[in-house]
Amino acid sequence: MSQIVDDWVKRLKDKLPPIGEMTHWERLAAAFERRPTDLVPVAPQLDYWQITHANYTHQEIYNDVDKTTDACIRTWAELRTDAIWMYIDIGHQIENFIPAEKRAAHFIHRGPKDYLIYKPLAGTLDEAIGLYESRAYERYLEGSRPVTHYTPHMLQLLEFQEKMNRQVPVIVGAATPTNYAETIVEVQHFVKWTITEPKAKVHHYLQLCLDERLAALDFYREFAAKNGCEFFCGFGGARTWGPRQLAEFGEYDRKFIEKAKTIFPHVFWHICGHNLPEAMQLLAEWDGLQAVQYDMPYYSQALSWPEWCESVARLFAGKRCAMNAPTTQACCYETPQQVEKMVSEFIEATLPHTTAVVMPGCEIDSYAPLQNVRTMIDAARKYRGSSKSNRL
Amino acid sequence: MNDSELLSQLAQAVISLDQARVEQLAAEALRWIHPAQVIAHGLSRGMQTIGEQFKTGEVFIPEVMVACDCYYAGLQMAKPHLKQQDKDWFIGTMVIGTIHGDIHTVGKDVAVPVFEAAGFQVVDLGVAVPDDRFVQAIREHQPQIVGLGTYMTPTFMHTRETVEAIKRAGLRDQLKIICGGPSVNADAARRMGADDATDNAWDAVEKMKGMLAELNQRQTP
Repeated sequence: MSQIVDDWVKRLKDKLPPIGEMTHWERLAAAFERRPTDLVPVAPQLDYWQITHANYTHQEIYNDVDKTTDACIRTWAELRTDAIWMYIDIGHQIENFIPAEKRAAHFIHRGPKDYLIYKPLAGTLDEAIGLYESRAYERYLEGSRPVTHYTPHMLQLLEFQEKMNRQVPVIVGAATPTNYAETIVEVQHFVKWTITEPKAKVHHYLQLCLDERLAALDFYREFAAKNGCEFFCGFGGARTWGPRQLAEFGEYDRKFIEKAKTIFPHVFWHICGHNLPEAMQLLAEWDGLQAVQYDMPYYSQALSWPEWCESVARLFAGKRCAMNAPTTQACCYETPQQVEKMVSEFIEATLPHTTAVVMPGCEIDSYAPLQNVRTMIDAARKYRGSSKSNRL
Repeated sequence: MNDSELLSQLAQAVISLDQARVEQLAAEALRWIHPAQVIAHGLSRGMQTIGEQFKTGEVFIPEVMVACDCYYAGLQMAKPHLKQQDKDWFIGTMVIGTIHGDIHTVGKDVAVPVFEAAGFQVVDLGVAVPDDRFVQAIREHQPQIVGLGTYMTPTFMHTRETVEAIKRAGLRDQLKIICGGPSVNADAARRMGADDATDNAWDAVEKMKGMLAELNQRQTP
């Protein structure tokens, strides 16, 4: 029971005008299942942006669960997107790998609107393996932000979801084995080690990351799924891998998804950055994923935005719901006209082949103007989610 | 093996991502061949091929990053052999760093060797560089180009503050500022007072050569 949730439920329950013919939940679930929707769903990942939009600073919410939850619900009540993303930052992911007395020195916060960033936890592959083999993540769990902030925040939002009679789904996200493998040591090191270190050692490290992540999914079963969570995002790593790495080491994330799909009805993948065509192909083939939140074309692909969106939609036809547009960068510093154009082009390129959800490839940046966020939502609301005559 | 064959093999070792072989061949080459030639016709040639292969999708970011390490390994061996007059082969000087608030190096680690291989003398200030450190380095090294690295969108949005600091120091007119990283955009960079931006190190080389030409033209009476 949470006072902040009850206050919001009292203010909002049965008082919000409907948008379209479906509820937010029905709309997102239908798109994931590749069924027609009354409107194209729009579900941007607002995690950092919604904090400052609700007039809090990142430092202010860092240890304050109520303010974090308040920011998420306040922003949703104003914008009425088709999902509420729980707020997630890097402290949630790695603080339990760090002894309590050393945590402060690991995180860097430039200013009130800046992301929390971190220093790597290990400088060599052997050190990283040592962290896992010594089960540091269990030894330092007590008092860490996964326990003190992430979990209670998630539970508050799920409580809101249930008390609002599942009008709007809450998206819970967790990093995948490759994401952890890279985050612990910084991505550029791990990526190089996939070439320079013995393959067996890299596999051993990834297996340790997978074992920890599979155990983490038991936590999600107990605390997320049992409290009503149905929409689960796997924050994939491997975003800068080449085809050789995907072929050699891609299995670990697939195994993570195989287990996630036994827990949640709606599982999707987040792959931000410059997406390799081979990675998109792989995600189109993995069983259990319903949707993919993808981003920009790879450096060597000379494709326009609509061409890129169409190429992914063709790949996903009959297999996956496609989620994108505008780019995080466009939403941050382009004009509203450009934002609207990117959203329209994405929808029009996608709907002939599969369902679409308007959801930039990465989180909305703290510096994104409100007008651009509103334009993105309004642009999505102009389209029916069906393959024919979709413009309203 | 003649000089040309040795330099070709050195270039090939970079392309093959074989750091031990690069070090072995660089040591051998530096006994007989001028260090500037070892850099330009061995190590840099290897990096140029890697760049071409990246553009055509034959290699990808992981291979590029390891090639950069190979290049660096050879470069560190060659640099002590360079005399002051040998440094004339540099086409320009640049100061580069990742803006304060960002500690990612993945882009800069690729960019610096690519720029050096293209003939730029690069002063790398590292990561999380405060604005006053950029100003100090500009005064010290007098670069024609300043590279602002940003890996995340919020850090890119701090470009304006760094440019303003350079302006306040009275140094803005003597140099060009280019932003780099996956989140950058040329128009947005110009709106924040920089001159250009790119997410691709090889594109950056072309843009920076254009900047040098513009600066040189400005100096010509």
